[in-house]
Amino acid sequence: MSSPIDKKTLEHLTQLARIELSAQQEEKLLRDLGKILGHFEELNEVDTTAVAPLAGGTTFMNAFRGDGERENQLHGAGTENFPERSSTFLKIPPVFE
Amino acid sequence: MTLLRDLTIKNFREGLLAKKYSALEIAQAFFSYIKDTDPKIHAYLNLNEKEALQQAEAADVKIAKGEELGTLAGVPLAIKDNMLMKGSPATAGSRILERYISAYDATAIAKLKAEGAVILGKTNLDEFAMGSSTENSAFGPTKNPHDHSRVPGGSSGGSAAAVASSMAIAALGSDTGGSIRQPAAFCGVVGMKPTYGSVSRFGLIALASSLDQIGPFARTTEDAAILFNAIRGADPMDATGDPNASYGPDLTNPDLTAMRGLRVGLPEEYFVGDGLSSEVAAGVDSVVDTLQRAGIKTKKISLPHTKYALSCYYIILPAEASSNLARFDGIRFARIPGVQDGNATLADIYQKQRGTGFGPEPTRRIILGTFVLSSGHYDAYYDKAQRVRALVKRDFDEAFKDVDVILTPVTPTTAFKLGEKADDPLAMYLSDIFTIPVNLAGLPGVSIPVRNISGLPVGFQLIGKPFREADILGLGRLYESLIR
Repeated sequence: MSSPIDKKTLEHLTQLARIELSAQQEEKLLRDLGKILGHFEELNEVDTTAVAPLAGGTTFMNAFRGDGERENQLHGAGTENFPERSSTFLKIPPVFE
Repeated sequence: MTLLRDLTIKNFREGLLAKKYSALEIAQAFFSYIKDTDPKIHAYLNLNEKEALQQAEAADVKIAKGEELGTLAGVPLAIKDNMLMKGSPATAGSRILERYISAYDATAIAKLKAEGAVILGKTNLDEFAMGSSTENSAFGPTKNPHDHSRVPGGSSGGSAAAVASSMAIAALGSDTGGSIRQPAAFCGVVGMKPTYGSVSRFGLIALASSLDQIGPFARTTEDAAILFNAIRGADPMDATGDPNASYGPDLTNPDLTAMRGLRVGLPEEYFVGDGLSSEVAAGVDSVVDTLQRAGIKTKKISLPHTKYALSCYYIILPAEASSNLARFDGIRFARIPGVQDGNATLADIYQKQRGTGFGPEPTRRIILGTFVLSSGHYDAYYDKAQRVRALVKRDFDEAFKDVDVILTPVTPTTAFKLGEKADDPLAMYLSDIFTIPVNLAGLPGVSIPVRNISGLPVGFQLIGKPFREADILGLGRLYESLIR
Protein backbone atom coordinates (compact mmCIF):
# COMPACT_ATOMS: atom_id res chain seq x y z
CA MET A 1 0.00 0.00 0.00
CA SER A 2 1.11 3.57 -0.61
CA SER A 3 2.66 5.57 2.21
CA PRO A 4 0.34 8.03 3.94
CA ILE A 5 3.18 10.58 3.88
CA ASP A 6 3.98 12.17 0.51
CA LYS A 7 6.43 14.97 -0.24
CA LYS A 8 3.83 17.68 0.37
CA THR A 9 2.80 16.22 3.75
CA LEU A 10 6.46 15.92 4.75
CA GLU A 11 7.08 19.58 3.94
CA HIS A 12 4.10 20.53 6.08
CA LEU A 13 5.43 18.36 8.93
CA THR A 14 8.94 19.84 8.78
CA GLN A 15 7.33 23.29 8.99
CA LEU A 16 5.32 22.25 12.04
CA ALA A 17 8.37 20.66 13.68
CA ARG A 18 10.64 23.63 12.76
CA ILE A 19 13.30 21.44 11.17
CA GLU A 20 15.00 22.47 7.94
CA LEU A 21 16.01 19.49 5.81
CA SER A 22 17.97 19.10 2.60
CA ALA A 23 16.36 17.46 -0.44
CA GLN A 24 18.47 14.33 0.17
CA GLN A 25 17.41 14.12 3.80
CA GLU A 26 13.77 14.46 2.75
CA GLU A 27 14.08 11.65 0.25
CA LYS A 28 15.63 9.23 2.77
CA LEU A 29 13.09 10.22 5.40
CA LEU A 30 10.18 9.56 3.03
CA ARG A 31 11.49 6.06 2.33
CA ASP A 32 12.06 5.25 6.03
CA LEU A 33 8.71 6.63 7.15
CA GLY A 34 6.89 4.68 4.45
CA LYS A 35 8.43 1.45 5.73
CA ILE A 36 7.79 2.24 9.39
CA LEU A 37 4.18 3.34 8.86
CA GLY A 38 3.63 0.20 6.79
CA HIS A 39 4.66 -1.88 9.80
CA PHE A 40 2.08 -0.07 11.96
CA GLU A 41 -0.73 -1.45 9.73
CA GLU A 42 -0.67 -4.59 11.91
CA LEU A 43 -2.42 -2.64 14.69
CA ASN A 44 -5.60 -2.69 12.59
CA GLU A 45 -5.86 -6.42 13.35
CA VAL A 46 -6.55 -5.59 17.00
CA ASP A 47 -10.13 -4.89 18.04
CA THR A 48 -9.93 -1.96 20.44
CA THR A 49 -13.54 -0.78 20.34
CA ALA A 50 -14.19 -1.72 23.97
CA VAL A 51 -10.82 -0.56 25.31
CA ALA A 52 -10.10 2.84 26.85
CA PRO A 53 -6.79 4.48 25.85
CA LEU A 54 -3.99 4.15 28.44
CA ALA A 55 -1.91 7.32 28.62
CA GLY A 56 0.69 6.14 31.13
CA GLY A 57 2.26 2.98 32.48
CA THR A 58 0.46 3.49 35.74
CA THR A 59 -3.12 3.94 36.81
CA PHE A 60 -1.88 6.35 39.46
CA MET A 61 -3.16 9.81 38.57
CA ASN A 62 -1.01 12.57 40.04
CA ALA A 63 1.32 13.16 42.97
CA PHE A 64 0.37 16.53 44.35
CA ARG A 65 2.87 18.65 46.24
CA GLY A 66 1.82 20.22 49.51
CA ASP A 67 0.29 23.63 48.82
CA GLY A 68 2.67 25.65 50.95
CA GLU A 69 5.19 28.45 50.72
CA ARG A 70 8.65 27.37 49.61
CA GLU A 71 11.78 29.02 48.42
CA ASN A 72 12.72 28.54 44.77
CA GLN A 73 16.34 27.42 44.76
CA LEU A 74 16.58 27.48 40.99
CA HIS A 75 15.62 31.06 40.21
CA GLY A 76 17.66 32.26 37.24
CA ALA A 77 19.38 28.88 36.83
CA GLY A 78 20.02 28.11 33.18
CA THR A 79 20.29 31.72 32.03
CA GLU A 80 24.07 31.28 31.75
CA ASN A 81 23.37 29.13 28.69
CA PHE A 82 21.64 31.95 26.80
CA PRO A 83 23.69 32.92 23.73
CA GLU A 84 22.76 36.59 24.20
CA ARG A 85 21.19 38.19 27.21
CA SER A 86 20.41 41.36 29.01
CA SER A 87 20.65 40.79 32.80
CA THR A 88 18.53 37.65 33.29
CA PHE A 89 16.53 38.17 30.08
CA LEU A 90 17.10 36.18 26.92
CA LYS A 91 17.82 38.36 23.89
CA ILE A 92 16.27 37.11 20.67
CA PRO A 93 15.86 38.41 17.12
CA PRO A 94 12.55 40.01 16.11
CA VAL A 95 9.63 37.60 16.17
CA PHE A 96 7.76 39.59 13.50
CA GLU A 97 9.42 40.89 10.38
CA MET B 1 46.79 -3.97 44.75
CA THR B 2 43.09 -4.60 44.54
CA LEU B 3 42.02 -5.27 40.97
CA LEU B 4 39.44 -2.81 39.72
CA ARG B 5 37.58 -5.56 37.90
CA ASP B 6 36.99 -7.45 41.16
CA LEU B 7 35.33 -4.51 42.89
CA THR B 8 31.64 -4.47 43.67
CA ILE B 9 29.79 -1.83 45.67
CA LYS B 10 29.57 -4.40 48.46
CA ASN B 11 33.21 -5.53 48.67
CA PHE B 12 34.56 -2.03 47.93
CA ARG B 13 32.95 -0.81 51.13
CA GLU B 14 34.36 -3.72 53.13
CA GLY B 15 37.86 -2.95 51.84
CA LEU B 16 37.40 0.75 52.50
CA LEU B 17 36.31 0.18 56.10
CA ALA B 18 39.14 -2.33 56.64
CA LYS B 19 41.51 0.40 55.36
CA LYS B 20 42.86 -1.83 52.57
CA TYR B 21 42.75 1.32 50.42
CA SER B 22 41.40 4.85 50.54
CA ALA B 23 38.55 6.16 48.39
CA LEU B 24 41.00 8.62 46.84
CA GLU B 25 43.44 5.85 45.84
CA ILE B 26 40.66 3.91 44.17
CA ALA B 27 39.27 6.99 42.39
CA GLN B 28 42.76 7.83 41.10
CA ALA B 29 43.24 4.26 39.96
CA PHE B 30 39.98 4.42 38.02
CA PHE B 31 40.95 7.67 36.26
CA SER B 32 44.33 6.27 35.34
CA TYR B 33 42.69 3.09 33.99
CA ILE B 34 40.01 5.07 32.10
CA LYS B 35 42.64 7.23 30.39
CA ASP B 36 44.46 4.11 29.32
CA THR B 37 41.46 2.03 28.25
CA ASP B 38 38.72 4.38 27.10
CA PRO B 39 40.37 5.52 23.85
CA LYS B 40 39.63 1.96 22.64
CA ILE B 41 36.05 1.77 24.00
CA HIS B 42 34.75 5.36 24.05
CA ALA B 43 32.38 4.78 26.96
CA TYR B 44 32.82 8.28 28.41
CA LEU B 45 31.92 11.61 26.82
CA ASN B 46 33.42 13.69 29.60
CA LEU B 47 35.22 13.08 32.87
CA ASN B 48 34.44 14.74 36.18
CA GLU B 49 37.92 14.27 37.62
CA LYS B 50 38.34 17.35 39.80
CA GLU B 51 34.99 17.02 41.54
CA ALA B 52 35.28 13.21 41.79
CA LEU B 53 38.61 13.40 43.62
CA GLN B 54 37.07 15.90 46.04
CA GLN B 55 34.14 13.54 46.60
CA ALA B 56 36.58 10.69 47.28
CA GLU B 57 38.57 12.79 49.73
CA ALA B 58 35.36 13.74 51.51
CA ALA B 59 34.59 10.03 51.99
CA ASP B 60 38.10 9.43 53.38
CA VAL B 61 37.74 12.35 55.81
CA LYS B 62 34.46 10.92 57.10
CA ILE B 63 36.09 7.53 57.67
CA ALA B 64 39.06 9.13 59.47
CA LYS B 65 36.70 11.06 61.74
CA GLY B 66 34.52 8.03 62.34
CA GLU B 67 31.44 9.79 60.98
CA GLU B 68 28.42 7.98 59.61
CA LEU B 69 28.89 6.97 55.96
CA GLY B 70 26.36 7.06 53.15
CA THR B 71 25.46 3.77 51.48
CA LEU B 72 27.61 4.71 48.46
CA ALA B 73 30.52 6.39 50.27
CA GLY B 74 33.48 6.61 47.90
CA VAL B 75 31.87 4.35 45.27
CA PRO B 76 33.09 5.33 41.76
CA LEU B 77 30.10 5.57 39.41
CA ALA B 78 29.45 6.52 35.78
CA ILE B 79 26.36 8.48 34.69
CA LYS B 80 24.60 8.47 31.32
CA ASP B 81 25.02 11.89 29.76
CA ASN B 82 21.29 12.68 29.69
CA MET B 83 21.12 13.42 33.43
CA LEU B 84 21.91 16.87 34.75
CA MET B 85 24.83 17.37 37.11
CA LYS B 86 25.27 20.98 38.15
CA GLY B 87 28.16 22.73 36.40
CA SER B 88 28.86 19.83 34.02
CA PRO B 89 27.88 19.24 30.39
CA ALA B 90 24.80 17.16 29.58
CA THR B 91 24.93 16.62 25.84
CA ALA B 92 22.37 13.80 25.55
CA GLY B 93 24.71 12.66 22.75
CA SER B 94 23.50 15.54 20.57
CA ARG B 95 25.19 18.39 18.78
CA ILE B 96 22.32 20.65 19.77
CA LEU B 97 23.38 20.43 23.44
CA GLU B 98 27.13 20.33 22.82
CA ARG B 99 27.66 23.61 24.67
CA TYR B 100 24.99 23.21 27.33
CA ILE B 101 26.08 23.28 30.98
CA SER B 102 23.67 21.80 33.54
CA ALA B 103 22.06 24.38 35.78
CA TYR B 104 21.10 21.98 38.58
CA ASP B 105 21.39 18.38 39.79
CA ALA B 106 18.87 15.76 38.70
CA THR B 107 17.15 14.28 41.75
CA ALA B 108 18.85 10.91 41.14
CA ILE B 109 22.26 12.66 41.06
CA ALA B 110 21.48 14.66 44.22
CA LYS B 111 20.59 11.39 45.96
CA LEU B 112 23.86 9.74 44.84
CA LYS B 113 25.81 12.73 46.14
CA ALA B 114 23.93 12.61 49.45
CA GLU B 115 25.01 8.95 49.82
CA GLY B 116 28.64 9.92 49.25
CA ALA B 117 29.15 8.57 45.72
CA VAL B 118 32.14 9.53 43.55
CA ILE B 119 30.95 10.48 40.06
CA LEU B 120 33.70 9.67 37.56
CA GLY B 121 32.06 11.11 34.46
CA LYS B 122 29.27 11.09 31.93
CA THR B 123 28.82 8.27 29.45
CA ASN B 124 27.99 7.98 25.78
CA LEU B 125 24.50 7.30 24.46
CA ASP B 126 22.43 7.30 21.32
CA GLU B 127 21.32 10.85 20.61
CA PHE B 128 18.55 11.75 23.09
CA ALA B 129 18.51 8.05 24.07
CA MET B 130 17.08 7.11 20.67
CA GLY B 131 18.70 3.92 19.52
CA SER B 132 19.87 0.44 20.40
CA SER B 133 23.59 0.58 19.61
CA THR B 134 25.06 4.02 20.59
CA GLU B 135 25.84 4.44 16.89
CA ASN B 136 23.42 7.38 16.90
CA SER B 137 25.63 9.41 19.23
CA ALA B 138 26.78 12.64 17.58
CA PHE B 139 30.16 12.02 19.22
CA GLY B 140 30.89 8.58 17.75
CA PRO B 141 29.91 5.06 18.83
CA THR B 142 30.96 3.11 21.90
CA LYS B 143 32.53 -0.32 21.31
CA ASN B 144 31.50 -3.52 23.04
CA PRO B 145 34.30 -4.39 25.52
CA HIS B 146 33.93 -8.11 24.67
CA ASP B 147 34.48 -7.53 20.94
CA HIS B 148 35.45 -4.10 19.66
CA SER B 149 33.88 -4.75 16.26
CA ARG B 150 30.45 -5.04 17.89
CA VAL B 151 28.01 -2.57 19.43
CA PRO B 152 27.55 -2.38 23.22
CA GLY B 153 23.79 -1.93 22.71
CA GLY B 154 21.94 1.21 23.55
CA SER B 155 20.90 3.69 24.24
CA SER B 156 22.83 3.51 27.56
CA GLY B 157 25.76 1.78 25.80
CA GLY B 158 28.42 3.94 27.43
CA SER B 159 27.26 3.11 30.97
CA ALA B 160 27.03 -0.62 30.18
CA ALA B 161 30.48 -0.65 28.55
CA ALA B 162 32.01 1.33 31.43
CA VAL B 163 30.84 -1.25 33.98
CA ALA B 164 31.72 -4.21 31.74
CA SER B 165 35.26 -2.91 31.15
CA SER B 166 35.86 -1.99 34.83
CA MET B 167 35.90 1.75 34.12
CA ALA B 168 33.30 2.20 36.91
CA ILE B 169 32.01 -0.07 39.67
CA ALA B 170 28.42 0.67 38.71
CA ALA B 171 26.48 3.22 36.67
CA LEU B 172 23.16 4.89 35.98
CA GLY B 173 21.30 4.67 32.71
CA SER B 174 17.79 5.43 31.54
CA ASP B 175 15.37 2.98 29.97
CA THR B 176 12.47 3.98 27.73
CA GLY B 177 12.09 0.79 25.68
CA GLY B 178 15.06 -1.32 26.77
CA SER B 179 17.89 1.21 26.93
CA ILE B 180 19.29 -0.23 30.17
CA ARG B 181 18.40 -3.92 29.77
CA GLN B 182 19.49 -4.40 26.14
CA PRO B 183 23.04 -2.96 26.58
CA ALA B 184 23.34 -4.82 29.90
CA ALA B 185 22.62 -8.06 28.02
CA PHE B 186 25.07 -7.21 25.20
CA CYS B 187 27.85 -6.26 27.65
CA GLY B 188 27.31 -8.99 30.25
CA VAL B 189 26.31 -6.86 33.25
CA VAL B 190 23.18 -6.48 35.38
CA GLY B 191 20.83 -3.65 34.35
CA MET B 192 17.43 -2.81 35.76
CA LYS B 193 14.53 -0.66 34.62
CA PRO B 194 12.57 0.07 37.80
CA THR B 195 8.77 0.38 38.06
CA TYR B 196 7.46 3.55 36.42
CA GLY B 197 7.10 6.10 39.22
CA SER B 198 9.75 4.67 41.56
CA VAL B 199 12.69 6.91 40.55
CA SER B 200 12.29 10.66 39.98
CA ARG B 201 12.70 11.82 36.39
CA PHE B 202 13.49 15.39 37.46
CA GLY B 203 16.69 16.40 35.69
CA LEU B 204 16.59 13.52 33.22
CA ILE B 205 16.43 14.93 29.68
CA ALA B 206 13.02 13.62 28.66
CA LEU B 207 12.55 11.25 25.73
CA ALA B 208 9.06 9.80 26.26
CA SER B 209 7.72 10.93 29.60
CA SER B 210 5.24 8.09 30.12
CA LEU B 211 7.95 5.45 29.54
CA ASP B 212 11.28 6.85 30.83
CA GLN B 213 12.86 5.55 34.05
CA ILE B 214 16.36 5.92 35.48
CA GLY B 215 17.94 2.69 36.71
CA PRO B 216 21.18 0.97 37.77
CA PHE B 217 23.91 -0.97 35.95
CA ALA B 218 26.07 -3.18 38.16
CA ARG B 219 28.13 -6.38 38.24
CA THR B 220 25.75 -8.19 40.60
CA THR B 221 22.06 -8.06 41.43
CA GLU B 222 23.06 -7.16 45.00
CA ASP B 223 24.87 -4.03 43.79
CA ALA B 224 21.93 -3.15 41.51
CA ALA B 225 19.65 -3.32 44.56
CA ILE B 226 21.95 -1.07 46.62
CA LEU B 227 22.15 1.52 43.83
CA PHE B 228 18.41 1.40 43.10
CA ASN B 229 17.67 1.79 46.81
CA ALA B 230 19.82 4.95 46.86
CA ILE B 231 18.03 6.70 43.97
CA ARG B 232 14.38 5.64 44.42
CA GLY B 233 11.66 7.55 46.21
CA ALA B 234 8.89 10.04 45.50
CA ASP B 235 10.00 13.57 44.68
CA PRO B 236 7.98 16.79 44.86
CA MET B 237 9.55 17.72 41.50
CA ASP B 238 8.08 14.70 39.65
CA ALA B 239 4.30 14.43 39.58
CA THR B 240 4.49 10.80 38.39
CA GLY B 241 6.43 9.54 41.39
CA ASP B 242 4.21 7.25 43.41
CA PRO B 243 4.21 8.35 47.09
CA ASN B 244 2.50 5.09 48.05
CA ALA B 245 5.34 2.91 46.77
CA SER B 246 6.86 1.03 49.67
CA TYR B 247 9.89 -1.19 49.84
CA GLY B 248 10.93 -3.49 52.66
CA PRO B 249 14.34 -4.75 53.80
CA ASP B 250 13.94 -7.65 51.34
CA LEU B 251 14.96 -5.27 48.52
CA THR B 252 18.63 -5.25 49.52
CA ASN B 253 18.60 -8.32 51.74
CA PRO B 254 16.42 -11.00 50.14
CA ASP B 255 15.50 -14.25 51.84
CA LEU B 256 16.80 -16.75 49.28
CA THR B 257 14.74 -19.56 50.77
CA ALA B 258 11.58 -17.52 50.23
CA MET B 259 12.71 -16.84 46.64
CA ARG B 260 12.48 -20.57 45.94
CA GLY B 261 8.73 -20.24 46.50
CA LEU B 262 8.22 -17.71 43.70
CA ARG B 263 6.11 -18.89 40.76
CA VAL B 264 7.85 -18.11 37.48
CA GLY B 265 5.93 -17.60 34.22
CA LEU B 266 7.39 -18.37 30.78
CA PRO B 267 5.42 -16.47 28.11
CA GLU B 268 5.18 -18.57 24.96
CA GLU B 269 5.23 -15.47 22.70
CA TYR B 270 8.83 -14.72 23.78
CA PHE B 271 10.20 -18.15 22.91
CA VAL B 272 8.88 -18.64 19.37
CA GLY B 273 9.58 -17.09 16.00
CA ASP B 274 12.56 -17.02 13.73
CA GLY B 275 13.96 -13.87 15.34
CA LEU B 276 15.31 -15.65 18.43
CA SER B 277 18.88 -16.81 17.89
CA SER B 278 20.03 -20.24 19.01
CA GLU B 279 22.67 -18.81 21.41
CA VAL B 280 20.11 -16.71 23.22
CA ALA B 281 17.55 -19.51 23.31
CA ALA B 282 20.14 -21.94 24.72
CA GLY B 283 21.30 -19.41 27.32
CA VAL B 284 17.80 -18.67 28.58
CA ASP B 285 16.92 -22.39 28.60
CA SER B 286 19.94 -23.05 30.82
CA VAL B 287 18.63 -20.49 33.32
CA VAL B 288 15.16 -22.07 33.34
CA ASP B 289 16.81 -25.45 33.88
CA THR B 290 18.94 -24.16 36.78
CA LEU B 291 15.92 -22.63 38.49
CA GLN B 292 13.77 -25.73 37.98
CA ARG B 293 16.47 -27.95 39.44
CA ALA B 294 16.51 -25.68 42.49
CA GLY B 295 12.84 -26.55 42.98
CA ILE B 296 11.30 -23.42 41.48
CA LYS B 297 7.92 -23.94 39.84
CA THR B 298 7.66 -22.62 36.30
CA LYS B 299 4.52 -22.28 34.25
CA LYS B 300 3.84 -21.59 30.59
CA ILE B 301 1.79 -18.43 30.21
CA SER B 302 0.53 -16.28 27.34
CA LEU B 303 0.84 -12.54 26.73
CA PRO B 304 -1.20 -12.45 23.52
CA HIS B 305 -0.65 -8.79 22.53
CA THR B 306 3.17 -9.01 22.66
CA LYS B 307 3.31 -8.98 18.87
CA TYR B 308 1.73 -5.51 18.71
CA ALA B 309 3.88 -3.86 21.39
CA LEU B 310 6.57 -2.73 18.94
CA SER B 311 4.21 -0.81 16.65
CA CYS B 312 2.38 0.59 19.65
CA TYR B 313 5.66 1.81 21.16
CA TYR B 314 6.96 3.38 17.95
CA ILE B 315 3.82 5.49 17.74
CA ILE B 316 3.68 6.55 21.40
CA LEU B 317 7.41 7.22 21.76
CA PRO B 318 7.81 9.56 18.75
CA ALA B 319 4.59 11.36 19.72
CA GLU B 320 5.92 12.13 23.19
CA ALA B 321 9.46 12.77 21.93
CA SER B 322 8.34 15.27 19.28
CA SER B 323 6.70 17.25 22.04
CA ASN B 324 9.58 16.91 24.55
CA LEU B 325 12.24 17.86 21.99
CA ALA B 326 10.38 21.01 20.89
CA ARG B 327 12.19 22.88 23.68
CA PHE B 328 15.55 22.44 21.96
CA ASP B 329 15.36 25.44 19.68
CA GLY B 330 18.98 26.57 19.55
CA ILE B 331 18.09 29.52 21.74
CA ARG B 332 17.48 28.56 25.35
CA PHE B 333 19.95 25.72 25.71
CA ALA B 334 22.99 27.29 24.06
CA ARG B 335 23.52 27.69 20.33
CA ILE B 336 25.37 25.30 18.06
CA PRO B 337 28.61 26.87 16.95
CA GLY B 338 29.20 27.46 13.26
CA VAL B 339 25.58 27.61 12.06
CA GLN B 340 25.09 30.74 10.00
CA ASP B 341 22.07 32.64 11.22
CA GLY B 342 22.83 35.96 9.48
CA ASN B 343 20.07 38.51 10.04
CA ALA B 344 17.69 35.68 10.61
CA THR B 345 14.29 35.85 12.22
CA LEU B 346 13.50 33.69 15.20
CA ALA B 347 11.73 31.13 12.98
CA ASP B 348 14.82 30.89 10.72
CA ILE B 349 17.06 30.24 13.71
CA TYR B 350 14.78 27.46 14.94
CA GLN B 351 14.70 25.78 11.53
CA LYS B 352 18.45 26.00 10.97
CA GLN B 353 19.54 25.11 14.50
CA ARG B 354 17.18 22.15 14.72
CA GLY B 355 17.93 21.03 11.15
CA THR B 356 21.67 21.04 11.90
CA GLY B 357 21.54 20.06 15.57
CA PHE B 358 19.44 16.91 15.42
CA GLY B 359 20.90 13.79 13.81
CA PRO B 360 18.91 11.45 11.53
CA GLU B 361 17.21 9.38 14.27
CA PRO B 362 15.80 12.27 16.37
CA THR B 363 14.73 13.95 13.11
CA ARG B 364 12.96 10.77 11.99
CA ARG B 365 11.16 10.39 15.31
CA ILE B 366 10.23 14.08 15.62
CA ILE B 367 8.65 14.02 12.14
CA LEU B 368 6.97 10.67 12.81
CA GLY B 369 5.63 11.97 16.13
CA THR B 370 4.41 15.18 14.54
CA PHE B 371 2.61 13.06 11.93
CA VAL B 372 0.86 10.65 14.32
CA LEU B 373 -0.35 13.58 16.42
CA SER B 374 -1.46 15.71 13.48
CA SER B 375 -5.06 16.47 12.63
CA GLY B 376 -6.63 13.70 10.58
CA HIS B 377 -4.15 11.01 11.71
CA TYR B 378 -4.40 11.18 15.50
CA ASP B 379 -7.20 8.62 15.85
CA ALA B 380 -5.72 6.12 13.41
CA TYR B 381 -2.29 6.13 15.07
CA TYR B 382 -1.89 7.75 18.49
CA ASP B 383 -5.29 6.95 19.93
CA LYS B 384 -5.15 3.42 18.50
CA ALA B 385 -1.70 2.87 20.02
CA GLN B 386 -2.86 3.99 23.46
CA ARG B 387 -5.71 1.47 23.30
CA VAL B 388 -3.32 -1.31 22.31
CA ARG B 389 -1.08 -0.20 25.18
CA ALA B 390 -4.00 -0.84 27.55
CA LEU B 391 -4.26 -4.38 26.15
CA VAL B 392 -0.53 -5.01 26.57
CA LYS B 393 -0.80 -3.95 30.20
CA ARG B 394 -3.94 -6.06 30.68
CA ASP B 395 -2.03 -9.14 29.47
CA PHE B 396 0.52 -8.65 32.26
CA ASP B 397 -2.20 -7.95 34.86
CA GLU B 398 -3.85 -11.26 33.95
CA ALA B 399 -0.56 -13.18 33.96
CA PHE B 400 0.41 -11.86 37.40
CA LYS B 401 -2.71 -13.46 38.88
CA ASP B 402 -0.97 -16.83 38.44
CA VAL B 403 2.73 -16.06 38.64
CA ASP B 404 5.02 -13.74 40.65
CA VAL B 405 7.80 -13.22 38.12
CA ILE B 406 8.01 -13.57 34.33
CA LEU B 407 11.22 -14.88 32.73
CA THR B 408 12.11 -14.04 29.11
CA PRO B 409 15.09 -13.37 26.84
CA VAL B 410 16.27 -9.72 26.80
CA THR B 411 17.27 -9.53 23.16
CA PRO B 412 16.65 -11.77 20.12
CA THR B 413 20.41 -11.97 19.37
CA THR B 414 23.78 -11.31 20.98
CA ALA B 415 25.61 -8.02 20.23
CA PHE B 416 25.55 -7.24 16.51
CA LYS B 417 28.34 -5.73 14.43
CA LEU B 418 28.90 -1.98 14.25
CA GLY B 419 27.17 -0.70 11.12
CA GLU B 420 25.12 -3.87 10.65
CA LYS B 421 21.73 -2.20 11.25
CA ALA B 422 22.71 1.45 11.04
CA ASP B 423 20.91 2.10 7.73
CA ASP B 424 17.73 0.21 8.50
CA PRO B 425 15.75 1.86 11.30
CA LEU B 426 13.09 -0.84 11.35
CA ALA B 427 15.66 -3.64 11.81
CA MET B 428 17.20 -1.63 14.66
CA TYR B 429 13.77 -1.15 16.28
CA LEU B 430 13.17 -4.91 16.20
CA SER B 431 16.13 -5.51 18.55
CA ASP B 432 13.94 -4.17 21.38
CA ILE B 433 10.92 -6.46 20.98
CA PHE B 434 11.40 -8.25 24.33
CA THR B 435 12.01 -5.14 26.42
CA ILE B 436 9.40 -2.70 25.07
CA PRO B 437 6.27 -4.32 26.55
CA VAL B 438 7.67 -3.82 30.08
CA ASN B 439 7.87 -0.04 29.56
CA LEU B 440 4.40 0.12 28.03
CA ALA B 441 3.02 -1.61 31.13
CA GLY B 442 5.16 0.41 33.59
CA LEU B 443 6.65 -2.73 35.19
CA PRO B 444 10.10 -3.42 36.66
CA GLY B 445 12.44 -5.55 34.56
CA VAL B 446 16.02 -6.64 35.10
CA SER B 447 18.55 -8.07 32.66
CA ILE B 448 20.97 -10.53 34.25
CA PRO B 449 23.92 -12.23 32.52
CA VAL B 450 23.57 -15.97 31.88
CA ARG B 451 26.51 -17.66 33.62
CA ASN B 452 28.78 -20.40 32.35
CA ILE B 453 28.43 -19.83 28.63
CA SER B 454 31.13 -19.34 26.05
CA GLY B 455 31.11 -16.63 23.41
CA LEU B 456 29.35 -13.29 23.59
CA PRO B 457 27.26 -12.40 26.65
CA VAL B 458 23.59 -13.40 26.79
CA GLY B 459 21.09 -11.89 29.21
CA PHE B 460 17.83 -13.13 30.64
CA GLN B 461 15.05 -10.84 31.76
CA LEU B 462 12.98 -11.09 34.94
CA ILE B 463 9.80 -8.99 34.94
CA GLY B 464 8.04 -8.28 38.22
CA LYS B 465 4.81 -6.88 39.57
CA PRO B 466 4.73 -3.09 40.10
CA PHE B 467 7.11 -2.05 42.91
CA ARG B 468 8.26 -5.68 43.41
CA GLU B 469 11.88 -5.08 42.39
CA ALA B 470 12.66 -7.20 45.48
CA ASP B 471 11.28 -10.29 43.66
CA ILE B 472 13.23 -9.93 40.43
CA LEU B 473 16.49 -8.90 42.10
CA GLY B 474 16.06 -11.58 44.80
CA LEU B 475 15.41 -14.32 42.26
CA GLY B 476 18.40 -13.06 40.27
CA ARG B 477 20.51 -13.30 43.38
CA LEU B 478 19.33 -16.85 43.96
CA TYR B 479 20.38 -17.70 40.39
CA GLU B 480 23.81 -16.11 40.97
CA SER B 481 24.19 -18.16 44.17
CA LEU B 482 23.27 -21.40 42.37
CA ILE B 483 26.01 -20.91 39.76
CA ARG B 484 29.29 -19.89 41.25
